[in-house]
Amino acid sequence: MKTMKWLIKREMWENKGMLLWTPLAIAGVIAALVLSALVMGHVQNIQIDGQNFNSITIEGKVRTRIAETLAQAYIGTGMPVLMVLGMLVFFYCLSALHDERRDRSLLFWKSLPVSDFTTVLSKALLALVVAPLITIGIAIALGLVMLLSTCVVLLMHGTNLFGDVFSSPDVYLSPLRLIGLLPVYILWALPTVGWLLMVSSMARSKVFLWAVGTPVIVTLLLVWAQKALLFGVDAAWFASHITNRILLGVVPGAWLAFDRNNISIAREEHQLPLPDTIFSASWSTLGGISVWLGAAAGIAMIAVAITMRRRREET
Amino acid sequence: MSAIVTANKLVKQYGRQAALDGASFSVEAGRIVGLIGPNGSGKTTTLKAILGLTQFQGELSVLGLDPRTQREELMNEVCFIADVAILPRWLKVKDAIDFVEGVHPRFDRAKAEKYLANTKLKPEMKVKAMSKGMVVQLHLALVMAIDARLLVLDEPTLGLDILYRKQFYQNLLEDYFDENKTILITTHQIEEVEHILTDLLFIENGKIALAASMDEVSERFTEVMVEPQFAAAANALQPLSQRTVFGKPVMLFDGADRAQLANFGELRTPSVADLFVATMKGSYA
Repeated sequence: MKTMKWLIKREMWENKGMLLWTPLAIAGVIAALVLSALVMGHVQNIQIDGQNFNSITIEGKVRTRIAETLAQAYIGTGMPVLMVLGMLVFFYCLSALHDERRDRSLLFWKSLPVSDFTTVLSKALLALVVAPLITIGIAIALGLVMLLSTCVVLLMHGTNLFGDVFSSPDVYLSPLRLIGLLPVYILWALPTVGWLLMVSSMARSKVFLWAVGTPVIVTLLLVWAQKALLFGVDAAWFASHITNRILLGVVPGAWLAFDRNNISIAREEHQLPLPDTIFSASWSTLGGISVWLGAAAGIAMIAVAITMRRRREET
Repeated sequence: MSAIVTANKLVKQYGRQAALDGASFSVEAGRIVGLIGPNGSGKTTTLKAILGLTQFQGELSVLGLDPRTQREELMNEVCFIADVAILPRWLKVKDAIDFVEGVHPRFDRAKAEKYLANTKLKPEMKVKAMSKGMVVQLHLALVMAIDARLLVLDEPTLGLDILYRKQFYQNLLEDYFDENKTILITTHQIEEVEHILTDLLFIENGKIALAASMDEVSERFTEVMVEPQFAAAANALQPLSQRTVFGKPVMLFDGADRAQLANFGELRTPSVADLFVATMKGSYA
């Protein structure tokens, strides 16, 4: 346990720039853009109106709707940050087992009493748990900043929604729902993380080309075999079940696309708010077999990566 | 004395090329052993085998463990510095100490800090800002603070200037080595380590060519500055090698009678480098 803690710290030292500062910077840019738009808009109102006509009081049904929407949707402003997570995890995994060979620090790490199993596990954990948690945390913080500033701007225009918004349970449930999706993310990301770690442990150089090129070329070959040679292969099946799953699994929410045939968006029938719908639809994807097959394949590929790290000899 | 390393008929093939071809040797506790051989003789492969970094055939026991299957256990008591085991560029001095303290049960933080206090290294310094000599100092500080029973050094001072090299071996001897520790060194700079070695292992073409303690070496091998008039007589005793210094033949004998040799000229104990050259003279032929 103590060793794992230090291995995770080690990964953070090495990848802090990528895993912490990138999402923070993106959140910062979004916050700056939106806040300046809000402030500028506010200033403009005053200039146009010249007097206090820009004070609008919203009451009644509309008020409730606005408060409800804000409470549910504020977390959505963090979405761009979450989209970056896919890229971060992708490139983190690609370099995780390759960089230590490239910079020849591998033998230093191997001179310490830490097993290959524990080391590779720490890298998988970082990709599947630590990096998503960091990004989710930043996304939630960004959402809260946006929510607060929206409420402040509305207040300046004479409508105080603080009470309505912060008494709505959705304000507190949204972040929990986001964190509650982590297990779904882990299971759907496993094939991609496994594939990338495996390529990272094998390729001598050009890791990216191997990781992306191999499945893409195989897909193209299959398409060609199907179209030109009329072989009875289903290239489309391969593309959606293999290529996409081992390359795009780290994108948050990708499961909704992977499993679209089995998800019935139940929103219309039950009148559920959108965040609830996404949450339950995401969890319902775990009812299918495909996610578990992918997760098993991911674990198998991680096992190959462990063996490679143990057996491989650098010359 | 108990053997720290026992190797019996180690064989390792790289394709058709045999890197190890039946090497057998043992290393006793409390010794400083120089594993010396020409390029491509199997030195690094031998060290890799001892450290569990390569697969091979034959029997090998290191501290009673098999490095092929019990590597993690072994690494609790074995440490190594290799010229290829480079510290990563992003590592800070203080992080390096924290990390090794975190994962190594036998690491003594105070010792590492005491050693670093005598260097120019600062806790916030990153490896990428260090000179090669400083990186080796940091690595040595980490390794010396680990109470390991076996320390393996593979060309540890490669690329360092003479000041760092001298200091490296001095620190190793004064602050690290004691009767409970064993050090196994490979290096091409034989002159710099020969005064600290207690044992020699010469390796040639994957086999051990010579295994002897330094005491045995000085008993067994004798170098004679032969006076020119005795050259023919001395040659008849079949010297191991012969070279000429200031017009006088200098001959190296293995196991010859010293009293007899003394008649030919001045006797001395050969340097390890000369002995090495004499032993390996067929190596590149």
